[in-house]
Amino acid sequence: MPKSLPDLDDLKTHIALYDSESAYQQLFKCLFPSLYRFCFCILKSRELAEEAASDVMITLWRNRLKMLEINNIKVYALVIARNVSLNILNRNHKEELVSLDDIRIEILLDAHNPEQLLINDELKKKLEMATQSLPSKCKLVFKLIKEDGLSYKETATILNISVKTVDAHLVTAVKKLSTILKAEFNLM
Amino acid sequence: MDKSLIIALLSKKMAAEATQEELEQLRLLIEKYPDAIYYEEFLQELWENNSGSQAPQSDLDQIYALHRNKYKADFTFHPAEEIHAGRYSYLHVSGVLLGLVVVALLCFGLWQHHKQLPTHDTHIVAGKGIRKKVVLPDGTLVWLNAGSKLSYDTGFNQQKIRQVFLTGEAFFDVSHRKSQPFIVHTEKISVKVLGTAFNIQAYPGENKSEATLIRGSIELSVNDQSGQKVILNPSEKFAFSTEKKTMVINHVEPVKIGNDEYIEETSWKDNQLVFQDETLEELKPRLERWFNIRISIRSDQPKHYRFTGVFKNETINEALEAMQLIKPFTFKLTRYDVIIY
Repeated sequence: MPKSLPDLDDLKTHIALYDSESAYQQLFKCLFPSLYRFCFCILKSRELAEEAASDVMITLWRNRLKMLEINNIKVYALVIARNVSLNILNRNHKEELVSLDDIRIEILLDAHNPEQLLINDELKKKLEMATQSLPSKCKLVFKLIKEDGLSYKETATILNISVKTVDAHLVTAVKKLSTILKAEFNLM
Repeated sequence: MDKSLIIALLSKKMAAEATQEELEQLRLLIEKYPDAIYYEEFLQELWENNSGSQAPQSDLDQIYALHRNKYKADFTFHPAEEIHAGRYSYLHVSGVLLGLVVVALLCFGLWQHHKQLPTHDTHIVAGKGIRKKVVLPDGTLVWLNAGSKLSYDTGFNQQKIRQVFLTGEAFFDVSHRKSQPFIVHTEKISVKVLGTAFNIQAYPGENKSEATLIRGSIELSVNDQSGQKVILNPSEKFAFSTEKKTMVINHVEPVKIGNDEYIEETSWKDNQLVFQDETLEELKPRLERWFNIRISIRSDQPKHYRFTGVFKNETINEALEAMQLIKPFTFKLTRYDVIIY
């Protein structure tokens, strides 16, 4: 569950002003999972994603006084994560610089909800395949909004695109899913 | 066309970005095309799925432990080595000597500290034997005592929290700003104020850090015991012992010398050095800073002599002669040194 913003603010103060390691630990536990998943989408490797997410957290710690100026730590961290991930990718591609558009992004539709009534495993696989075929930025938009519950504005900041583009990408993703659903259930 | 619109509106709704009008529009469209309700149901089920993907706590603990170990250098703080005030490099700052709130924490250690702090690009230094009064960009008055340094970022007044870093001793009279707290950081303790007058003493190389509150209210914390916060009332003094890690709060009593009363902890800002029943050994660092001189006590007996007094405009020679009237000792005075036998 994403920690509510007031909590993060409190942690932020403790870390920045009092160098509180225990507050940092709590922030770590709160942000790491989504940082890891985001980096995994881009890096497609568990090790690299862990390395990247760890990198992002220590960057926050090293610049903790600057944290006081930031309103939304989660978005700030994800922006750093984007840059760190791209840097890692570029580490291996000395020739041309890689951007988010060029790379294959991997996202997963989570499969752990036992209360599912309408969508069975079969259907889930079809939906997953459909999302896999979406363009990279589109996938990332879909993931950030659906999984991380970020707003259009926050997503736009992290991916460095406009809010309108975010909307367009989301619509594309939802359209794709609807097509599968339509075929499956013979909807209009 | 309507179908596209339904999808577009549904997307916005799932992202919680739909306006009231758009929600209303969607509602009407669904009435017109009842099949659309299925899309919404499916999408909702898909959307709710993400709450399951929480990494188990124990895994996170382990991951954190590895992370913490990997970067342990960023987290271990070495106590600042003794830096004697005289070795500061002086930056040119002119100002009237007026001590404002004594900040009893030696912040000099911050320069040498292993903690990584953003650069504070403005420094005010009072060398040995010098006291300075400055006005900060927000109107706060600061009196810096001898051998002290105050640092802050040029943009300090525009930030959410006003922060300064102190090594040595300073007296602060902080401009009251309800929504913009003022924090003084020193090596070992930090003081948060809203608008108040207080003294902090924190010289490097000394085992104690002290804060004395004259007016208002301050919240103190010891830097590496962040859970604990202490709130001082006026005329209270907080003392933190580095080696014993103890914290003591005392009521500050004025010292009566002759017909006058002085507050020992803050009188320096009025150019008065006040001491009460202190041994020569205890007085030594204060005298050294006050007069900008090095004192060495060659024999054991004078170390334990106790003195009570006030120095206003005396030179070191006059001060020592006055002390000789109270207890017998001999001294030899050169330009930079005093030797006491």
